Amino acid sequence: MSRDLKVGLFIVGTTIIILAALLYLANEKGLFANTYVFTLSSKSGDGLTEGMPVVFSGFDIGKVSTLELNDKGMVLIKIKIAQRHVKWIKADSAFILYRPLIGAARIVVTTNNLNSPPLPEDKIVAMETVNDINDAIKKVQPLLEKITQIAENLERLSNNLSDPKGDLNRILSNAQIITKTLSSKKSFLEMAVADEESVQSIYEALKKVKDIVTKIDKMADKMDKQLYGKEGTLPNINQILKDIAGKLQKLDKTVDNINKISTDTSDGMKDFRMLRSDIDDTVNAIDDVAKKLDDLISSKKDPEFKLP
Amino acid sequence: MNVLENIGRLGVKTVKSFLDTISFAFKVICRMFQYRSYNSAMRMVLINQIYFTSVQILPVFLIVSIVLGSLLIGIAFQLLKQLGLTDYFGNVLMGLIVTELSPFFTVLFITLRSASAINTEMAVMKVNGEMKTLETFRIDVINYLLLPRIINGVISLVLLSSLFSIVLMVSGILFSWLIFGMSTDVYINILLNSAKFFDMVIALIKCAVFGFFITLIPIRFGLRASREFTSIPIAVSGGMVNVFTAIIIIEVLSFLIKLF
Amino acid sequence: MAKNYHRAAPVSLDVPLISNQEIWMNIALIKQYHENMPRIQAEKFVLNALQRLDLAHIAYKRNPALTDEERFVVLLLRAAMVKDALIIIDRPFKIIPHLKNSNSILQALKKIDDFYTTCHIYDYKWMEEKYGAL
Repeated sequence: MSRDLKVGLFIVGTTIIILAALLYLANEKGLFANTYVFTLSSKSGDGLTEGMPVVFSGFDIGKVSTLELNDKGMVLIKIKIAQRHVKWIKADSAFILYRPLIGAARIVVTTNNLNSPPLPEDKIVAMETVNDINDAIKKVQPLLEKITQIAENLERLSNNLSDPKGDLNRILSNAQIITKTLSSKKSFLEMAVADEESVQSIYEALKKVKDIVTKIDKMADKMDKQLYGKEGTLPNINQILKDIAGKLQKLDKTVDNINKISTDTSDGMKDFRMLRSDIDDTVNAIDDVAKKLDDLISSKKDPEFKLP
Repeated sequence: MNVLENIGRLGVKTVKSFLDTISFAFKVICRMFQYRSYNSAMRMVLINQIYFTSVQILPVFLIVSIVLGSLLIGIAFQLLKQLGLTDYFGNVLMGLIVTELSPFFTVLFITLRSASAINTEMAVMKVNGEMKTLETFRIDVINYLLLPRIINGVISLVLLSSLFSIVLMVSGILFSWLIFGMSTDVYINILLNSAKFFDMVIALIKCAVFGFFITLIPIRFGLRASREFTSIPIAVSGGMVNVFTAIIIIEVLSFLIKLF
Repeated sequence: MAKNYHRAAPVSLDVPLISNQEIWMNIALIKQYHENMPRIQAEKFVLNALQRLDLAHIAYKRNPALTDEERFVVLLLRAAMVKDALIIIDRPFKIIPHLKNSNSILQALKKIDDFYTTCHIYDYKWMEEKYGAL
């Protein structure tokens, strides 16, 4: 192989390899692809940059080629979409400028109905902005206010805690005193009252209270017997009430008689005296019963409570 | 005062030398675009130069590319994995290794091999009086000697650097599978996403500029040799130092261009 | 001379061969550069010319490998490649020191007399007898 041929092969071969690599790269980057230019509009160009990707379902389908202002002060955003991706851009597609907290901003295209007619290139579509940062700030702000409040409270609390004249320190010093006193006293009561004589009086008083309670117990037992025993007040009262009930039954009859008398008045006058004497008898009997009741009740001795 | 004078003299000499080089470069570029510069003799020299610079060493160059490239890729990927920066391996591969380290290693390789040889050749021809021969027979030294070598430098550096990059990327497939367990499709996808047209164009232009100056400067310094043989090593060492200085300046300039 | 400067073709040690090129390339250079003769054609032409002088075997050698006579012939042939060459031989006995007379020089010139127009030999006066009845 002659020298010329070798040199020729080397130059041509290497050049072909380089050109092939560059062409492949250019093709993959979409340099030779036909592109379509669509125009979006926005009130503000904040966050927009030339070269910003246009994304559909997470895939880059184009990029922002130019930004300009129109006569009305609206920002016109021209996006270039490769021919193979233009099928995703429909007349009802929504264009959203998405600015995430982490990561680069991008224009997100969402198309709900893929059967809609394609978006004409001369139509200007309004673009919305979704600002993760602003939304996050809105959500975080009340939380921050709460945290600020909590922090202020904590600060106050910690100031209080650290203040020697503060509540806690005073409580602690008092507790210290209490425990000190407790450790030197014989009993809790002594510590509370701080005077041995008073403590003694309290002990005696408590002792007396104990006696009283014992007496009351006994009295209660007695009362039980007197009230509820066989010969007790309540069974007697029961008996008396039964008598009264009998008497009242009789009174009923008398009242019936009175009714009879009301129709036979003349005849009834005699009977009226008899009736009157019957009533008098009955009332007197009831009186007697009531007196007996009184006697019964008053015969029981009232307990006496004596206090020191 | 003497110190200041010396500094001033050195400064003036440096600036003058720099300006001479630039004006000479400009002259050469003008000749490059003239049709009558390209005759049969010049083409023969050009083919010979490309053969000796690129084709003759191609097998060795490819082996060195594979070994060095694999080493670079392996180290870079391993480091990225340890630092938890696997997401950036595409950027590191394309942005650093392919567009920066590839041209740099190629230029070092060519400088050590070819630039030093050109420098010596020119100095020896000057000492032997062969430049006079060419002038006597009305053969333009720039057209016949300089132009083929400079064009060879540009072509060889661009092509060899590109080959180095391609070898690197291919060996990257193996290492990405070994270290990250990445399939070829995913690897190619990451490369495509990380590749920037502008960076690659800058890298190619940088290689061309490298090739231009790593041949121009040795030739200029070689032609400065006198009729004595003792001037040859002086011319060669001066030329090679200036070549490495030029490499650094070009690297800095390309970095600044990328920045802005 | 000034008018025919472009035809001047010196043969001198002060105008040496290019040492990093083969002999045929040294000779073909003139044709290739000035007449844009293709490489293969130029190579063939030079080989034929060398053949005339029975020196085809040195075509692919380089300058340091030549003898003095061979070097002289190559220098002469290179000069003859110039179009309508006005060959100027500068001190031929300096190029071939051991030469006793100019016969071989004249023979060589005769073999390639269709390549050039005129030939002038310049030498020191005391070398006159080496040239005989020239």
